[in-house]
Amino acid sequence: MVRDTLNTPIIGIEDPVLVTGAGGFIGPSVVRKLLEYGFRDIRCIVRSAQSLAKLETVASPYTNNARLGLIKGDLLSRDDCVRATNGVRVVYHLAAGTEKSFAGAFMNSALATRNLMSAFLEVAKPRRFVNISSFAVYSNLKLKRGAFLDETCELEEQPQERFDAYCFGKLKQEEVVRQYGIERGLPYVIVRPGTVFGPGKQELTGRIGINTFGFFIHLGGSNQLPLTFVDNCADAIVLAGLVPGVDGETFNIVDDELMTSKQFLAAYTNAVGPFFSIRVPYPLAYGLSWAWEKYSKWSKGQLPPVFNRRRCSAEWKGNRYSNRKLRERLGWQPKVSMERSIGAFLSQFESSRGQRLNH
Amino acid sequence: MLKVAIVGCGKIADQHVHAIRRIPDCKLVGVCDREPLMAKQLGERFGISACFGDVTEMVRAVAPDVVHITTPPQNHCMLAKECLNAGSHVYLEKPFTVTAEEAKSLIQLADHANLKVTAGHNLQFTLEMMEMRRLVNGGFLGGRPVHVESYFSYDLGDKSYAGAFLGNRQHWVRQLPGQLLHNVISHGIARLAEFLDDELTQIVATADQSESLRTSGADEVLDELRVMLRDKRGTTAFFCFSTQIRALNELRIYGPVGSITVDVVSGSVIRNEKRAHKSYLTYFIPPLRNSREHFRNAGLNLTNFVRRRLYQDAGMKELIERFYNSIRLDTTPPIPYREIILTAAIMDEIFAQIYPTGLRSSAISASVASVSTLPLQPTVQ
Repeated sequence: MVRDTLNTPIIGIEDPVLVTGAGGFIGPSVVRKLLEYGFRDIRCIVRSAQSLAKLETVASPYTNNARLGLIKGDLLSRDDCVRATNGVRVVYHLAAGTEKSFAGAFMNSALATRNLMSAFLEVAKPRRFVNISSFAVYSNLKLKRGAFLDETCELEEQPQERFDAYCFGKLKQEEVVRQYGIERGLPYVIVRPGTVFGPGKQELTGRIGINTFGFFIHLGGSNQLPLTFVDNCADAIVLAGLVPGVDGETFNIVDDELMTSKQFLAAYTNAVGPFFSIRVPYPLAYGLSWAWEKYSKWSKGQLPPVFNRRRCSAEWKGNRYSNRKLRERLGWQPKVSMERSIGAFLSQFESSRGQRLNH
Repeated sequence: MLKVAIVGCGKIADQHVHAIRRIPDCKLVGVCDREPLMAKQLGERFGISACFGDVTEMVRAVAPDVVHITTPPQNHCMLAKECLNAGSHVYLEKPFTVTAEEAKSLIQLADHANLKVTAGHNLQFTLEMMEMRRLVNGGFLGGRPVHVESYFSYDLGDKSYAGAFLGNRQHWVRQLPGQLLHNVISHGIARLAEFLDDELTQIVATADQSESLRTSGADEVLDELRVMLRDKRGTTAFFCFSTQIRALNELRIYGPVGSITVDVVSGSVIRNEKRAHKSYLTYFIPPLRNSREHFRNAGLNLTNFVRRRLYQDAGMKELIERFYNSIRLDTTPPIPYREIILTAAIMDEIFAQIYPTGLRSSAISASVASVSTLPLQPTVQ
């Protein structure tokens, strides 16, 4: 199926492709996938020189057949965006704002994306703009526990109330992409990866729990986690930029055989060694979040509303996830099984077993 | 009802909005950013419908009584002049201006227009700093300060900020004469300026690049600064800025009788009275007194928490409220103009010493030190 769909990619292997955020967690895997598919002109825009070594390692087996252009620049600079997109046919926009402030998240997500799309339209003949969003944009407030969360579900309407700058940035980023699609005819695809994991990222996802108070609070319980292994995720992202007939579509990315929070935590604990944790069931977490939210309002923000019902629901209510659309429309399937994925993730802790890791 | 507007809708603008919304009898009437999308996102989140991409248009349309300028400092002077000329009072985020000359010209313009300006030295108005001021004014030191020390640390581990400017030579922070230091040390210098005479006889500044920064590729950025100062009356001061020491934000004032340590991180004021204790009692009584001080601070903080006074940016709200009151009652602004100018003048001199040839492109090979014996005489307002 994958081969079939890639028999007719929307661009040729000589066409230039740009990857932003190539030095991040998913970026090198996306670059490797593109090289594996035979693309010969790949450009990466990176903010710091520190990312370069990682990319050079990825590209080294392909140097005879392909060119990897590394551009040092900032997406908030229009000039840098013009330099990066000149002549490019497909853009994979992975660069993400991880700012904790709303203004910062907006600037590094929505504004950077606007600059990039604007330059792409100005100096290239765009075939597709692939915008990497996130599951954080969903609101499951009206969904029941255990209900399916898919691409048709509601988006968060009150990111400020959820006190989630990342969610706000990603929502605004999607908004500006759709606006460019409608008003300026930019062909785009939006992909929303779930929880991306793999070697190189040691932290546990907040969907499992938090250690805000100096010890680990397990909040995920038996919730299914929307996991996607970094290589599987990269494969889906690459296909989203190449498969014809999906312009304007949105895809969630999750793998098969999804683990529960409890299972993931048990495997993690087994790898890093035991550490103190407390299990808090969802109804109690929801009640405490409600109380925190009320106190925050009453005290006029003396405690910021970092815990609130919207966030609690989004992270710990528990839903089920599907990759049906991804399979049907992009012909994607996870090439790395969950068993191998979790093995690869945990292998990074082999040398540090017994050390308590910071979440 | 004071009509308030904000120019510059980046990260710090959110803090201003939160602080302004705590103050009675004022209303946010407009926000402005040269990037209209930034103005729009701030307006949308806080229900401010008047969003602008041009300051001239904004002051004409909403005629604000006060404008908060929260843009990069390179634009402070120009924007503040425009707002003053339009008849608005101005609150300028720190650093007040890029140079002391600009600071003087702004203050003169405000005076001529019978308007007020203030600098965003909000850490001067935290609960513990106000208690310190009450003690000093009450004579706790037993005379004028003999020596003052200010310690300020900054965590470069915050990738969202540090990563942005370290990775980009064109970033506005890298374009300031004092680079990173220019953007962050004014809080620490301002609290020395409060206790120093206008006429300084000596400033010795040394600066270096920390080991962690050496690997970042930002060759010319200095992040370890030490400064010795002396004023005409003989009061000495020491300033330490570091990115290597974690969570350090202190003011220490030494008088002939007593001394005070203000720890802004823990919101504590430690009073030390120099009393002679007989024999071995000197080993027991002072530590017990110090313990009592720490307990007292914990109790005070708990009380303030219960009374909902211990919120983030309490200093900013206090400073803004005092500034608004000075406008309403036509009294002197909360930060004396001489302190604003002296802070800027000290910073000018520090940067002249540590970046003697302006921004250097080559790696820093050794620490830089030089001595100024020229008197620095800011105009006293």
